[in-house]
Amino acid sequence: MKLFANPIFITQRRLVHRAGVLAAAFIAGLIGFCLLLGFAGTLHGPFATQRGAGEIGKFYYGWIVGLEILVLVLGGFSRIARALADDRKAGLWDSNRLTPLRPADILIGYWLGPALREFYMAVVLAGFGLLIVVCAGLPLTLWLGTQLLIGSTALFFGLLGILAGMVFQRSQGGLFILLSLFSFPFTAFAPGRMISNFLLPTYGIIQLFQSAGRAPGQSAMTPEWLAPAQTFGFAVHPVLLSLALQGLLGAFLWRALARKTAHPFETLLLRGEAVGLFSLLLIVQQGLIWDIWQGKYPALTLVGARYPQEMPLLKMVHGATLFLGLVLLGLASPLPERVRVESLRLGFKTVGAVFSRSAVSLALALAVIAGGLFATHFIFSLADNWLILLAVFLNLTTLFLTFALLLEFCRLRHGRRALGFIGLWLFALCALPFILAAVFANAGFAQLSLLAPGFYALADSGDTNWALLYGTLLAHAGVVLLLYLNWHRQWQRLLTQTA
Amino acid sequence: MAGDSLDIRSTPPEKVSLLAIDHLRVDFPTVVAVNDLSLRIEAGDVCGLIGPNGAGKTTTMRAVSGLLELTRGSVRIAGRELASEPDELKRRLGFMPDFCPTYDQLTTTEFLEHFARAFDVPNRARRIAECLELTWLADKRNALCEELSRGMKQRLVLAKTMLPDPQVLLLDEPASGLDPLGRIELRKLLLQLRDAGKAVLISSHILTELSGFCNKAAIMERGRLVQFGTLEELSKHAGGRRMSVKWRAGADRAREILQHPQVTRLELTDTGAQFDFAGDPDALDELLKTLVTQNVRVSEWRPAGDDLEQIFLQSGAKELM
Repeated sequence: MKLFANPIFITQRRLVHRAGVLAAAFIAGLIGFCLLLGFAGTLHGPFATQRGAGEIGKFYYGWIVGLEILVLVLGGFSRIARALADDRKAGLWDSNRLTPLRPADILIGYWLGPALREFYMAVVLAGFGLLIVVCAGLPLTLWLGTQLLIGSTALFFGLLGILAGMVFQRSQGGLFILLSLFSFPFTAFAPGRMISNFLLPTYGIIQLFQSAGRAPGQSAMTPEWLAPAQTFGFAVHPVLLSLALQGLLGAFLWRALARKTAHPFETLLLRGEAVGLFSLLLIVQQGLIWDIWQGKYPALTLVGARYPQEMPLLKMVHGATLFLGLVLLGLASPLPERVRVESLRLGFKTVGAVFSRSAVSLALALAVIAGGLFATHFIFSLADNWLILLAVFLNLTTLFLTFALLLEFCRLRHGRRALGFIGLWLFALCALPFILAAVFANAGFAQLSLLAPGFYALADSGDTNWALLYGTLLAHAGVVLLLYLNWHRQWQRLLTQTA
Repeated sequence: MAGDSLDIRSTPPEKVSLLAIDHLRVDFPTVVAVNDLSLRIEAGDVCGLIGPNGAGKTTTMRAVSGLLELTRGSVRIAGRELASEPDELKRRLGFMPDFCPTYDQLTTTEFLEHFARAFDVPNRARRIAECLELTWLADKRNALCEELSRGMKQRLVLAKTMLPDPQVLLLDEPASGLDPLGRIELRKLLLQLRDAGKAVLISSHILTELSGFCNKAAIMERGRLVQFGTLEELSKHAGGRRMSVKWRAGADRAREILQHPQVTRLELTDTGAQFDFAGDPDALDELLKTLVTQNVRVSEWRPAGDDLEQIFLQSGAKELM
């Protein structure tokens, strides 16, 4: 279906236009005009000779880019999420689903329609940006590259907006800000090494600004933003990497959203999709840091390293892997009610059949994938450092399994109060040991946390007490076993009741 | 106002099962909302779905329309399985929910245009005008949805439901927000739909409003279908219909005649009586003839109360609002 014949898009456009777009476009125009005036004024002021037209142009164009990101990415995300959440609440989402419109048509309508006001504002700002770039004598590739990245990021976050609108009841601007804050520390630290700098295309945009109007090799203010991105040792242009990453993740997201639109009773992520998404993100992230050790972890092999000797990157990646795994397990974990209905429909009565549908088997798969990708840093040093790798793998396995088992056990046992109990258990198993360590000034407590063993192993500098670390991991395995037994009993009880 | 000459596109009023529900089961986390429900509605049938609060009427409608997942069972529209051909059948099935989902900032015409495009309705403008007229909203064609009263919104959603000319209509409490005039118009519209050969499943708490146009009834209680059939069948099953008779003279003779083997639950007063009659309509006519020929001066002879009300009360279902 063509976009301009898509009823959802037409309606969303009508709603946006009815609420007024001219004032917003004028506001954007006034801001752009002020920045253009500021650029012209500075160009003829006392700083012009010190900084040159190019640098002044970059400063003012930087403001335009920042505003565009704020309006189109943040504003668009929030607008799309709210439009969809409101329509779901009003019953219009269901009304649209009951028409012969394909899920893709419904999604496109919500993807491109509600944020039109923000789009018009961004177009006006981009126009003023082009004027500044041209007047400052900057290369057009700066304007084209930044606009391309802003556009692709807006589309990617638009899909996230649909996801938020489908999952939550209210606008999720707060969630977006939290995620941005979460990724912010990584933006500044080892900028070319963190996937978050390519998903939010910070690296690409800053590099475009840094390199614009400079001859190769000419010094820049922040040289660490100038190196090409490396994936498993191969140089990739950061703009291309950002576009590819957003495109691939967007395709995953699109597929999941279209499926959820067609079959709203299914989980948001199928197990295969969760595995694919997890693998993709981890492959890119591990690829970005691979050349630091080139398979000989912990020995640094990067000649003339730009990074400090005690590089904590692998620990940071381990932390991010744990976080990502937990999020995906949460999204792919089926509600017990769904499994029960399926057991009624298909007639299965064994916990074995439940296992293949539950997030527990997915947890094992994710741990194996993560462990395998961590192993790429140990390929040539495995004989000496297998204890580190094994501890990381076991840590991933126990945490993922604990979370998946806990999620389903609490849902089965506590019903609607499950979330509180999951929080309680996770607090006790993960956070409490750190609190005890602080209260009793004894770092030994911290090692007991389910989160800790992997970090301890990766921080090994020859003095690690491996017996204690593996003893802790064994205790964690005991927790998993206890949870498994209770999980098994709860499922068996439910299946017996169902039968 | 709805006029007789208006076009409700007609389907040949043959007796085919336009809606066939077999062994439908819908589970909620802590309760089986609908259990083993089977019913068939043919072209030209208007079936009242009645039952107390929480009986599963809305759940049944939402499950049949595809908004809820079936645990078991099947739904067929004109002989085709809903689960296997959902998109094709979306054009044949119209569902009107018990609330009014509208885009408040659109006009009524724009709202209908949205769904006309979604259903790819031919001659959109004409069909929209027809549907607005059918639901007596023609003079509100340029009004914003937010300016409409609840009853008007309800009529607008009914217009939206009829837009693609579906063969089967599921109407969940369509009259709940309507004023008395609106209810009369709704009744006319439903009779037109019936005459046009549509199959209509309609739920309501207000039994008197259903009995004017329903020829079938399905009574639900706690997720189960307690009774289903034509009103005649159900009357018979319920032990006959309750009648009211009044006379001006011949009371003694009348009391004797009413000691009839098919008369039960006889309640006598000085000037009349109420009773259940278990026989068929011919036998009931014969009873009246006997009264008249035996010089009882009958001044009133009518069903006591409403057919559906009687059927419902005798079905044993409780908690009707």
